[in-house]
Amino acid sequence: MDEQKRAQFKKVLREIKNLPTLPGIVAKLGKMAEDPDTTTEQMGRVISKDHILASKLLKLVNSAFYGFPQRISSLNSAIILLGFNVIKSLIISASIFEVMESQDVELWEHSLGCAVVCNVLARHMGVKDPEEISTAGLIHDIGKVAIKMELPREYAMITELSQEKKISRLEAEREILGLDHAEVGSWLAKSWNLPNKLVEPIACHHDPQLAKEEQQASAIVHFANIMIRGLGYGHAGDIWVPPLNNKAWKLLALAPADIDPLLMEIEEKLWDVKGFSLDIQSKQEGAA
Amino acid sequence: MQRILMAQAGPGMILAKEILNPDGMVLCGAGTPLTPALIERLISMDIVDVTVEGHPVTVEGEKTLKEELQEIDLRFQRVEDMAPLMYLKKRIQAKLVASRSFEGAAK
Repeated sequence: MDEQKRAQFKKVLREIKNLPTLPGIVAKLGKMAEDPDTTTEQMGRVISKDHILASKLLKLVNSAFYGFPQRISSLNSAIILLGFNVIKSLIISASIFEVMESQDVELWEHSLGCAVVCNVLARHMGVKDPEEISTAGLIHDIGKVAIKMELPREYAMITELSQEKKISRLEAEREILGLDHAEVGSWLAKSWNLPNKLVEPIACHHDPQLAKEEQQASAIVHFANIMIRGLGYGHAGDIWVPPLNNKAWKLLALAPADIDPLLMEIEEKLWDVKGFSLDIQSKQEGAA
Repeated sequence: MQRILMAQAGPGMILAKEILNPDGMVLCGAGTPLTPALIERLISMDIVDVTVEGHPVTVEGEKTLKEELQEIDLRFQRVEDMAPLMYLKKRIQAKLVASRSFEGAAK
């Protein structure tokens, strides 16, 4: 790969012009969170000033991938239940997916599905904040959106190359850009000041052995991506189930007997999420 | 199990999942057989879809079981040397076969 060309792509992707800028609200909330005197109500009030964002947030929170037994109907309880970090990453996802819904329903479906599997796996393993891992699953492919929007010509070339040579999208990205969507996604996540718990799983979802701090979260997102592709739910650019990393597999410590119950639970939750993504589709059809 | 629209529901089908009203209250439990009267009532309550046992409604353009199994084979084609993933594939296929058979054999 031409080093100069790679640097050029890198520059374009790092500047990111077409992706929605993060709503100013994120920075504002960041400041509020640092202030120990800030109350949940104050935060809720700031978020609810943006009606669309607030309703999107609640819709995401109530989608099956968070798995809360009760409906969360107020922003305040969402903030209390999910914690500030998750809310922040959700605001980011909500803003990003606004674009994605219209751009790529299949990738959105894949992402939601991956979030569901992350949640089920994280709960199965007794992880402390399963919601954060769900969120990592939800935005793990954000790099693909960035490539599509910033480098549409190269994006089309990647699609063509992967179909022609029957290679994965990831391999085609590396061949054409000299970098891949995982790397791009991690820059984005870093530039939004997301916690490392989200950055590393995005960066390492294809190579979880490279994770330094968040090995467990990275391993979960890695395997969740494999499972959801195996189930054929949504579409992430190519049809193939990506290879499993041995180290991540050992870390997950899943027994063969775990697989059936996990699949059962995932299927249950995917039923609900399916309604969620269908909503978006029908909304689109209605608008068309 | 299959998620179908109320308009596709017919007597004799059995609910695989409970039906909730918008407030989250259970209207009908899983395992309830649908009757003409119940279907009418559910429609009058603006219930849009239900999940039933087995796979009673053939959707136009839907893939056959054989096609779906082949697609799974194809998806896993590049990881055939990875034992855990081959096991995962086997279980996904087994589950699909069970869910497609009638009479709720998935149970």
